[in-house]
Amino acid sequence: MSNKVLMIDGDRISGQDVRNQNVTAVTAIANIVKTSFGPIGLDKMLVDNIGDVTITNDGATILKMLEVEHPAAKVLVQLADLQDQEVGDGTTSVVILAAELLKRANELVQRKIHPTVIISGYRIACQEAIKYINEELAIKVDTLPKDFIVNTAKTSMSSKTINDDSDFFSKMVVEAINRVKTIDYKGDAKYPVNSINILKAHGKSAKESILVEGYALNCTVAAEGMPKRVQNAKIAFLDFNLAKTKMKLGQKVVVTNVNDLEAIRDRENDIIKERIQLIIKSGANVVLTTKGIDDLCLKYFVEAGCMAVRRCKKEDLKRIAKACGGTVLITLANLDGEESFDPTALGTADQVSQDRVADDELIVVKNSNKKAASIILRGANSLMLDEMERSIHDSLCIVKRALESGTIVPGGGAVESALSIYLDNVAATMGSRKQLAISEFAESLLVIPKQLAVNAALDATDLVAKLRSYHHVAQTDSTKKSYAHSGLDLFAGKVKNNVEAGVLEPAVAKVKCIKFATEAAITILRIDDMITLTPKQAQGDDHAGHGH
Amino acid sequence: MATKAPVSRSDFNEKEKEKDVRTSNIVAARAVADAIRTSLGPKGMDKMIISPNKEVLISNDGATILQNLDLKHPAAKMLAELAKAQDIEAGDGTTSVCVIAGALLGAVSQLMAKGIHPSIISESFHLALNKSLDVLTSMAVPVSLTDRTSLVKSATTSLNSKVVSQYTNLASIAVDAVLNVINPATANNVNLKDIKLIKKLGGTIEDTELVQGLVFDQTASHTAGGPTRIQNAKIGLIQFCLSAPKTYMDNNIVVGDYAKMDKVIKEEPKLILEMCRKIQKSGCNVLLVQKSILRDAVNELSLHYLAKLKILVIKDIEREDIEFICTTVGCTPIANIDSFSPEKLGKADLVEEVGTSDGKIVKITGIPNPGKTVTVLCRGSNKLVLDEAERSLHDALCVIRSLVKKKFLIAGGGAPEIQVSQQVTAFSKTLTGMTSYCVRAYAEALEIIPYTLAENAGLHPISIVTELRNKHAQGEINSGINVRKGAITNILQENVVQPLLVSTSALSLATETVIMLLKIDDIATAR
Repeated sequence: MSNKVLMIDGDRISGQDVRNQNVTAVTAIANIVKTSFGPIGLDKMLVDNIGDVTITNDGATILKMLEVEHPAAKVLVQLADLQDQEVGDGTTSVVILAAELLKRANELVQRKIHPTVIISGYRIACQEAIKYINEELAIKVDTLPKDFIVNTAKTSMSSKTINDDSDFFSKMVVEAINRVKTIDYKGDAKYPVNSINILKAHGKSAKESILVEGYALNCTVAAEGMPKRVQNAKIAFLDFNLAKTKMKLGQKVVVTNVNDLEAIRDRENDIIKERIQLIIKSGANVVLTTKGIDDLCLKYFVEAGCMAVRRCKKEDLKRIAKACGGTVLITLANLDGEESFDPTALGTADQVSQDRVADDELIVVKNSNKKAASIILRGANSLMLDEMERSIHDSLCIVKRALESGTIVPGGGAVESALSIYLDNVAATMGSRKQLAISEFAESLLVIPKQLAVNAALDATDLVAKLRSYHHVAQTDSTKKSYAHSGLDLFAGKVKNNVEAGVLEPAVAKVKCIKFATEAAITILRIDDMITLTPKQAQGDDHAGHGH
Repeated sequence: MATKAPVSRSDFNEKEKEKDVRTSNIVAARAVADAIRTSLGPKGMDKMIISPNKEVLISNDGATILQNLDLKHPAAKMLAELAKAQDIEAGDGTTSVCVIAGALLGAVSQLMAKGIHPSIISESFHLALNKSLDVLTSMAVPVSLTDRTSLVKSATTSLNSKVVSQYTNLASIAVDAVLNVINPATANNVNLKDIKLIKKLGGTIEDTELVQGLVFDQTASHTAGGPTRIQNAKIGLIQFCLSAPKTYMDNNIVVGDYAKMDKVIKEEPKLILEMCRKIQKSGCNVLLVQKSILRDAVNELSLHYLAKLKILVIKDIEREDIEFICTTVGCTPIANIDSFSPEKLGKADLVEEVGTSDGKIVKITGIPNPGKTVTVLCRGSNKLVLDEAERSLHDALCVIRSLVKKKFLIAGGGAPEIQVSQQVTAFSKTLTGMTSYCVRAYAEALEIIPYTLAENAGLHPISIVTELRNKHAQGEINSGINVRKGAITNILQENVVQPLLVSTSALSLATETVIMLLKIDDIATAR
């Protein structure tokens, strides 16, 4: 044991052993998620240690729930997470690709090729691949028919539980994202996905999910006497408590006279009453607050015919305020040292109403022309609703990327097959050992179409060979360029033109997927020594014996 | 201790005989050197260390690895400190220094087996060291700080062994960063504190960028909906709190009359408003607030006022960053509201909040007279890469710093070590007696560097080292191992260069540590 000489308290593995171990761990992770890949991939049911169940098809969600311990496998979990944050979709493919790259690199190492050579080969391959996507494969969205964006949404949904209703949902997603389109100061269009609020309600079927033109809140009006529907609403957004005034710590009120007691109580009420009157006087007829409103204050609002909603989520409130043109106030203090309510802080909406959806009641802020959208999902059970929410979120992200970046690529393994042909040619131009690494990289990319075919119970070898031959023709014969759009049709089990079929993905998602997978594979590949230090035992159980 | 005590303890907890002590020390220290050998050179690999609390670290940097190994043996610990010393002095070559020390210790154990007294060995090593330093200095090529390409070359050499080696942009970032904060004509040292490294997860290493200005990890305060983008910013840095004052003693405010309640309640807004007004009056529109542990540095009320006054607020500025911020934007920290005056403000063209996948950051760009400080924003696709990228960048910065300190370059790729080895061997022939023998052993030990380089690169070490010797004997003093081609070439032409300081400091530190280990003849464990 090497650690005996090194005199550290722990284990050490090095060389080929550690590489094998890392690759095994990473492959194990990829094996878990790979059956959920693609339109015919199936879902996973995960039960955590307190018995909560999650059913999902999303790679990042699965891996996050798994509580992976192995450090190399953890890199992969982080990788999926990063893809989720940066792109929102393609989390499964990035994991599968990284694992395949590693597996093949390990084989090369066993054939006595130094890891650093493989690494530089992979780097070159990655750069070439990205260049090729951007220059050759990416299609500008302006050249495509209008419904491309609906198709992109549909593609991202195809692997999810909502696939059957993808026509319905993809339209909803596109409509929602178009509603929240904003132009930033540089003149670029932005599509902030989190301006779209997704709510879940039990009951009814998925098809009865609705898109609300405005913002829906999972709250109810604070008191029964309030109006349930306010037209031409003027909304005040508050982020403070509307309750009887309390003195701060270290401040005491000493009463010497019984009559004073009453006066002080009145004053306590009056301070808050004055505040409420400021709000009401400014013309507000709807009051939304993140904090509470006590009974006394409710009374004032009821009397004034105001609708008041308490305990709204702060993020929600901020978004509504943005959409309605108001501001969230954390205090009423003004710049004169007095208190006032500035009417410009009020937001406007066509209608604020309390609507009944299933058993719950929702506050819906309706606004026909403002930048907000909410999707109320309906489904048979909460597991399904959760998964629907994740799927919708993924699609929203994908649509956003496609619109913002303006370029898309055909899906269904088309890009990967084209790249593998291209990289094979690149490899042939290299005179060094890197050639092997690059051709392995090219081979690794094929794991995507292969896995797609395997999950669909098709003959992967046959289909991928066919696919490759199409792409080979596309790259050699300039008259048949459109063959570059060939991808798999997993339902018919053949190769077709995926741009025409409407299987589309944003180019940026593919680029990031390849970049991140390569970087993760390189990180793990460079390790040739793993030292695990034994956890220090707590002082208390020093006498409990050392059970190593 | 229970029956199965950790090996580490029993090895040195008794009073041992002199020879055993030396052997044990040498064995322990060599084991450490052997452990990190494989990470030397451009084909060196990384080590993954899992700490007791399950945190994972992947690194190629000798000092980082040894620091995290939690070594038990005192002699092994000395080697870890040796690496650290090299890190402080030169910033790079931390692996080489340990490998050299390990080889010297090997030589020592052989010499001692022949019955040579440790004090003679140490004396001769001193002699050999002095000679070696002379040889190194004579090999060196002077470099001018205006010669950017040479600087980039040496930074690239230092980055070659790291995970980031393929990203050429880091080397030029490091060089630009250093050149920015010094005056190339006069500088003799670089204060690396003037170069701030900020890590942010997301993107890839290629997205790492040099920012002329400041980058804050934290977001601008959104609580009250204040601005997030300000042009023509005037930046104020305050070290006091914008919240209700507190006394040190427990205090009670006694209100006897209900009318006074209002007064008490209104006092706080009034006080804070007054402060905010003063800030606005000075023309300040970006306010940086130092973190305070005693009470809230800012509270909701003050944020609200500042938002109304269209002042961008960044809170929780760490105390140690204050100096950096001040030199960058040219402001003076303000400790009291009464001294808040316009001349203490710094200026910048743009202060802007920028979104990344790992949360938002605030960038301050377009400062009026740049050149005092720079910020490097590191990006990486996972935490491990990101941490390693930061360490590598730090090494590259140190390399450039070494060049500023001592403006000489020498060849890399094992060339200097072979040259020193040959010259010192020649020198040993002019000596007589045991000294000559020891000096010669010292010279031979230095061949470990080219030997390891070749070994890590998968080349045949013996044939490579002998060929190298041959070339040097023929006078080609710049021949070195070209790891990429797997052959011996003129390494200066291959642009593999390193600062002289890194090599000299590695040699002297390693020799000194070895001499010190050599002189220990007794370990007594005091508890």
